[in-house]
Amino acid sequence: MMKLTIDGEEVEARDGDTVLDAARRAGAEIPELCAHPAVSPYGACRLCLVEVKRNGRTRMAASCCYPVSDGLTVLTKTEKVQRARRGVMELLLARAPESQALRELGASMGVDEPRFPTVTHAERDCILCGLCVNVCREVIGAAAISFAGRGVDRALAAPFLQSADACIGCGACAAVCPVGSIEIRWGDDEVEVPTFGAKVPAARCEECGTPIGSAPFRERVQGQLAAGLSHATELCPSCKQQHAAAGLSRANRGTASTLPASARPVPL
Amino acid sequence: MTTDTATPDLSTAVEAAVEAYAGDPGFLIPMLQDLQADLGYVPAEAARHMADLLHVPLSQLYSVATFYKSLSLVPRGKHLITVCLGTVCYLKGAKEVAARIESQLEVGPRMTTKDGLFTFEPVNCLGMCGLAPVMVIDDDHFTEVRPGQVPDILARYSGKEN
Amino acid sequence: MTVAVCMDTCCRAKGAEGVWSALEAARRQLAEEVAEVELKQTAAHGLCERGPLVMIQPGDIFYLNVQEEDVPEIVRETILGGRVVESLLYEDPETGKKATSSDEIPFYAKQHRIVLRHNGVIDPTSIDDYVAAHGYEALAKALTEMTPEEVIAEVHLAGLRGRGGGGFPTARKWRSCREAAGEPKYVICNGDEGDPGAFMDRSIMEGNPHAVIEGIIIGAYAIGAHEGFIYVRNEYPLAVARMREAIEAARGHGLLGPDILGSGFSFDLRINRGGGAFVCGESTALMASLEGRVGEPREKYVHTVEAGLHDKPTCLNNVETWANVPEIISRGGEWFASIGTEGSKGTKVFSLVGNVRNTGLVEVPMGMTLREIVYDIGGGVADGKALKAMQTGGPSGGCIPASLLDSPVDFDRLSELGSMMGSGGLIVMDEDTCMVNVARYFVEFLQEESCGKCTACREGVAQMSHILNRICNGDGREGDVELLLDLCDIAESTALCALGRTAPNPVRSTIKHFGEEYHEHIREKHCPARECRGLFRYEILAEQCTGCGRCLKECPEEAITGERKQPHVIEQAKCVQCGACFEACRFSAIAKV
Repeated sequence: MMKLTIDGEEVEARDGDTVLDAARRAGAEIPELCAHPAVSPYGACRLCLVEVKRNGRTRMAASCCYPVSDGLTVLTKTEKVQRARRGVMELLLARAPESQALRELGASMGVDEPRFPTVTHAERDCILCGLCVNVCREVIGAAAISFAGRGVDRALAAPFLQSADACIGCGACAAVCPVGSIEIRWGDDEVEVPTFGAKVPAARCEECGTPIGSAPFRERVQGQLAAGLSHATELCPSCKQQHAAAGLSRANRGTASTLPASARPVPL
Repeated sequence: MTTDTATPDLSTAVEAAVEAYAGDPGFLIPMLQDLQADLGYVPAEAARHMADLLHVPLSQLYSVATFYKSLSLVPRGKHLITVCLGTVCYLKGAKEVAARIESQLEVGPRMTTKDGLFTFEPVNCLGMCGLAPVMVIDDDHFTEVRPGQVPDILARYSGKEN
Repeated sequence: MTVAVCMDTCCRAKGAEGVWSALEAARRQLAEEVAEVELKQTAAHGLCERGPLVMIQPGDIFYLNVQEEDVPEIVRETILGGRVVESLLYEDPETGKKATSSDEIPFYAKQHRIVLRHNGVIDPTSIDDYVAAHGYEALAKALTEMTPEEVIAEVHLAGLRGRGGGGFPTARKWRSCREAAGEPKYVICNGDEGDPGAFMDRSIMEGNPHAVIEGIIIGAYAIGAHEGFIYVRNEYPLAVARMREAIEAARGHGLLGPDILGSGFSFDLRINRGGGAFVCGESTALMASLEGRVGEPREKYVHTVEAGLHDKPTCLNNVETWANVPEIISRGGEWFASIGTEGSKGTKVFSLVGNVRNTGLVEVPMGMTLREIVYDIGGGVADGKALKAMQTGGPSGGCIPASLLDSPVDFDRLSELGSMMGSGGLIVMDEDTCMVNVARYFVEFLQEESCGKCTACREGVAQMSHILNRICNGDGREGDVELLLDLCDIAESTALCALGRTAPNPVRSTIKHFGEEYHEHIREKHCPARECRGLFRYEILAEQCTGCGRCLKECPEEAITGERKQPHVIEQAKCVQCGACFEACRFSAIAKV
């Protein structure tokens, strides 16, 4: 454990924490669009800027990437910090002025209309934060998508702009996207990610046949689960609950009411 | 991932490029450059084969191939025209030279003429600033080029003997 | 007798290969008459604009602008007759005096060559030539007489700072890397010289590759690294070839590989090529590229000396920095520190280019003034024009106005002037250069070269470019300069890497020193340097025009009219300011107003 000061308050942090982690735990409100606890810090959006003071030197830093260290002083809401963040927000809004998510975040920071026109093209409001690419590679291990091109021409793409055949239809990319840029269609027979031209067969509940997400993803998860747990992926939530309920009543011989509320099956 | 689309010629070229760097993925960029030198560009099926051999995700290879300007995913012309747009060349009129090439050949930057004869590629500084503006066709250097010389220079490469 | 031909990229472009083969043919014929004519190639002698260069010993004869046709005369007069061919000598433009040897030419006389000492003298393809010039003696000294700590102490004493841009103290970097936990450790030579207008590193790699290799091996020994990489940009094929040959030769001589010179120290070096991406000059982007990935920088809150290539401790220095090391070890840190200024020791190689009379490679002690470099060495502005500004540091640097000509050049002073040393490009701009257009050029350059990862650089630089373009196109608005300055603040304070953080420098420095030019573009829709299309006019001066008709013929828009032998006229409504008439006129009868 180490101690640092965030906005005047002494805060404890663990080795390996980022300043963003520690500041959030201390209750500081820091906007960001590209940080996610499941993926490594990337530092693309530049919204989470704070001032850090170390060895007598103050600098602006991206809190999502800055590692904590003993004795570090962090300022998260100085005028300088807020001005810099507003500048970044204006640039993002100029890029994707239609994005509702961005507009709301901007409003919360005091940015309603950017002073700049739209000069770069955002496909489906994409702000190139990198979360989808990074979650797909680091967490899912599929690496089905990447950035293509560079600079203002940078875009999100499946290899060679063909369908992403390494995509397993897990939907993680859509789930982490801060601006809702990635569409995913959960069909009866197929899971489709039109954004990357990917289609995979849907998995079905072993009991009732209800579609429950992507079959290749279920396979991947099953391969990673400890033996004896793989059935957890075979049923839809409703069948799982019935099983759980049945199991519990057998175990408790009808004393289900003594269970805490959270463990009780909830009717769909 | 499938490799069955890679034709024998492509496979040989890919394998040679990979072999030249002992299959070390750290040398992906020179491998792709060698492949391009061999095939004229980086075909998608060759890239797939290379990704398989190196155990590198195809998406990584694609991002690399689109990031670095010297790599091309589409076939290039028989002759590569490079115009240096470094600061000194720019100040001494390289932009006008480039404009003359573009209008004469009806191409834009990094584009190939319809007849497949020329690919036009502006670059940021060849480090030959003393001779600005510099234009290179294949391995031939033209120095202190004026826009008015462009038609004559291009004519040397558009003849039938080339 | 030794006849040396400069065979670097520039001299080749001007016909050095033809000169070489003509000399070689002549030598074969002469073999019986003249006992020993050694023909050798050298590279990057310095006066690039006047190539091909031929140097003849004894006599210290220095020929410029030599063409294949001149070879018979050189053979007859100099090689056989022992006489100098006057027409191939350097002629002082003021006095008309000829200079036989390069030392008599002011361009060379005022230089202090450490890094370039062998350039144009030794054959870069011959390790024996380098060894004969005391090459690899510093390595032998370091490996056999010095501990790694002593090597670092010597470099510290020298006060060597990184020549790649930031000027970070080299010894401190080496020590941090040596002390960092983790194995293996790597050393990297950054030869991705991307600053437009800079070709020092290319010239060192082409002219004296073994000095770079020797420096790297010494550094690796000091740090405790056993593996290294030289990363050379794709645009430098000859430099790649020279470095590759040199590595092979060094390996062949047991200077790379296991147990170097019987010291027990092992180290090997590989060469890797860039792919055409300026951002790869940034250390973390370069390392990503060396891992076979996109050249995207990452935050350096954890330094690369601790976690660099493959997350291992990595020491990266640029070509010129490494090339300084052997001389520091040979002659001592104290000697090196006696050259230069308080904070910047030793010399700096510049590529002196642009609108200057003598263009080429220049190595001067730190602290020399811009005036001495531009006027005494460079011979002043070309074509009798007035000096307007000097640009240093590439796209991360700034423009220094002519009024600051007496500023001494070192790391700290250039930063104070709102520019930076960068890798050493020094571009001279004359009165015809539009400074708004210069800012636009650099910003467009950066827009094209931005990796696109972070918002500040990708979006911020695109916004700057948008505004600068509208100013140069005559659509500038009141408030644009203020908006630009705001964008500069955003980019500087929020961008991830140095490329974005220093992108404001060309904009800020031109606004600061040439603000009036911005205002004239915006308010009067006029480009005072008459460079921005549409913001000036071409006019035919009736008294100069002979009515030859050349301009009329060249004009693609048929905007010029006039009877033969009568003054012609440009119809302004039709003119698109392409400049074809201006270029074609032989009587200076077309003016930009």
